[in-house]
Amino acid sequence: MSETLEAPVMQEAGEGPAVETLSMQQALNRALAEVLAENPRAVVLGEDVGRLGGVFRITDGLQARFGEQRVFDTPLAESGILGMSVGLAMAGYHPIPEVQFDGFAYPAINQIVCQVGRMNYRSRGTLPMPITLRVPSFGGIRAPEHHGESLESLFAHVPGLKVVSPSDPNQAYHLLKHAATRPDPVVFMEPKSRYWQKGEVDLDAAAHGFRPGGSRVAREGRHVTLVAWGAMVARCLQVSELAAEDGIDVEVLDLRWLKPIDAEGLAASVAKTRRAVVVHEAPLTAGLGAEVAALVTERCFGTLRAPVERVTGFDVPYPSGDLEDEYIPNIDRILFGIQRVLEYRRG
Amino acid sequence: MAEISFPLPDLGEGLIEATVLEWLVAEGEQVERNHPLVEVETTKSAVELPSPQAGKVLRIFGTPGDTIKVGDPLIVFEVPDDTAGIVGTVPKEEAPKRRVRLNAVLDED
Amino acid sequence: MPLELAVQAELPELNRDQLRQLYRLMVAVRHLDESAIRWQRQGLIPGYAPELGQEAAQVGSGFALDMARDFVFPTYREMGVARTVGVDMVQYMSTHKAVWHGGLYDPAASRFAPIQAVVAGSVLHAVGWAHAQTLDGKPAGERGVAISYFGDGASSQGDVHEAMNFAAVLKAPVVFFIQNNGWAISVPTERQVAGGSVAARAAGYGMPSVQVDGNDVAAVVQATAAALAHARAGHGPAVVEAMTYRRGPHSTSDDPGRYRTLDQERLGAGEDPVARLRTRLLEAGLADEAFFAEAKASAEREAEQVRTGLQALGSRPGAEMFEFVYQEPTEALKAQAASWREESEHV
Repeated sequence: MSETLEAPVMQEAGEGPAVETLSMQQALNRALAEVLAENPRAVVLGEDVGRLGGVFRITDGLQARFGEQRVFDTPLAESGILGMSVGLAMAGYHPIPEVQFDGFAYPAINQIVCQVGRMNYRSRGTLPMPITLRVPSFGGIRAPEHHGESLESLFAHVPGLKVVSPSDPNQAYHLLKHAATRPDPVVFMEPKSRYWQKGEVDLDAAAHGFRPGGSRVAREGRHVTLVAWGAMVARCLQVSELAAEDGIDVEVLDLRWLKPIDAEGLAASVAKTRRAVVVHEAPLTAGLGAEVAALVTERCFGTLRAPVERVTGFDVPYPSGDLEDEYIPNIDRILFGIQRVLEYRRG
Repeated sequence: MAEISFPLPDLGEGLIEATVLEWLVAEGEQVERNHPLVEVETTKSAVELPSPQAGKVLRIFGTPGDTIKVGDPLIVFEVPDDTAGIVGTVPKEEAPKRRVRLNAVLDED
Repeated sequence: MPLELAVQAELPELNRDQLRQLYRLMVAVRHLDESAIRWQRQGLIPGYAPELGQEAAQVGSGFALDMARDFVFPTYREMGVARTVGVDMVQYMSTHKAVWHGGLYDPAASRFAPIQAVVAGSVLHAVGWAHAQTLDGKPAGERGVAISYFGDGASSQGDVHEAMNFAAVLKAPVVFFIQNNGWAISVPTERQVAGGSVAARAAGYGMPSVQVDGNDVAAVVQATAAALAHARAGHGPAVVEAMTYRRGPHSTSDDPGRYRTLDQERLGAGEDPVARLRTRLLEAGLADEAFFAEAKASAEREAEQVRTGLQALGSRPGAEMFEFVYQEPTEALKAQAASWREESEHV
């Protein structure tokens, strides 16, 4: 399922530019606008998503364009937002709720786990839950407490949910448009430290072979696979450039979907490089890196040259801004991880 | 960067224009919301208009003595479209720094 | 109809010294608040949640507390309360400098819980602390009272219902002190609080409530003192709703120009609570210009001292990330700390 994005191709003259340079924030905003325009039963709800346009401006201008029925501010209660989304979905709508920050998904966990993830099952498929839950996620912006959390392993552990995280504006645009047209609940984890970085968005990517499912090879390499998602993809790409200076050819696999994880894509990459380092911001223990390591081991045990390394956040509460660079995997820690898989020798 | 235009508001019942007395900000200046922008005179009184917007003053319209009609542009602000969210900061893009060098004998096979 | 407080404490009018003390506190708080916004603009702190306009509500309620017995459960916008009850302001502001989530002051010794970033996160904690006073068997009249601060936005959270119901069932000595400041980020109270009043809900729990002009510091002192006396005497919880106005932005990154006009602000804000007390003192002949000038000069000196202290306040050592996770750290965590020291600590 893994795929490499082909080089963007310009459409023929007269059809407007197929490629635009957008920030992730703009790309997400555009994707939401298109979803709302295409699906009259899509509704956006959450705290400050209406008049303000969201605290990160992802829903900027949507209320003015689509009206207060389609894009509305709720009272300040995350459990209420998710519980109400369940009811809207039961009535045939496609709710796109926003939880303002990762750490405020915790008050909604009861509804997410016990209701969003189970209603389709409980109803024997008669009450599907087409809910696209947007969660500005991960750290890196020196924010107050509960504004820098990485909840992917919590979400991925919940039966009935799918989980995806884009790494750049192009991925953000296409993955959100895809997620918001699925019949199942998708938790869409937006890397908030990457909202302002710009990149080329291929607006006609479908015609150019973009596949919304599975992982993608963000950089091809021969010696070691770095597995990452969200904001860590950009950091792994930086590391791959530094490793190249030392003669090490790093492949960066942007996992994208954290549930379902693209086991075939993982296996294909590691079968080639025979070494894997998984990088994430979330704490080590029971983090998604463990799942990646298990999948790689199951599929590539015979060809692996070293145990899968995990370079992650620590088993500590996400720290205050002054210490977040000590917490988030930095370039040196990722290089140390690469060095360990390179120098490992079977005993 | 985005531009936000602030037209001269109706400063009193039925007033249709005002005369610029003195600009209290200059183009290029960064202002906070509520910062005094300009003193204008209407047929009723002289008033100081506070800024409705935080941002950088991009353009101002009219010099002292000029008359501006209600609804015509008075000032244009430039607001960054990459402002941080409600909390936190925009991370700086920095050149990667490293301490660790890789050294490995790769047994290519 | 709101229920009456069981103890209509025969509270004496505030005397000259108390009113002058309240004025000095409010000016100090106003000055610190405005200074903190400047510090953010100057890059000294990454963010701050201003409480401009809420000085009377914060100083007045804090002034009524008996800090030998009572305990404060604040939100992230309670600098005025903290200052009034004697929390060290550099250690308080350290949370806004991104040094340590919750602040560096000792919450047990200060009887002021760590700064709480979860909206409505600590309301139930106040009920638990208060019930412990009952369990301790302190005679009525000598009990400590928990004061729980929250806002109109937080009143939408389910935890607030749970807290009020628990407290009323258990007759816990809690004062729920609501600062209804008109806005939860971009959402006005009329889109937040059905019925328009949090105090009105108290009757449903069989709890007395007072709605007070939150910009009148003397009225706030009296209302809070009456509610505290009610709870202290063993009659159970009470609600005080101080009607005030968030004159500034939600945070230093917020832009109220996106959701309210200056005219709306002028109408909603009413009279400035600091100016109002000044007028009262002048008209009653309780203070003169020399007193006001001295209060201002003293506030300026204090803000300068806090600034100097904040500038001198360095980052905490990264090892502290690991140090405070447990009382009894696990071996696995110690191993992570060791690997962090080896791979990340910059000497």
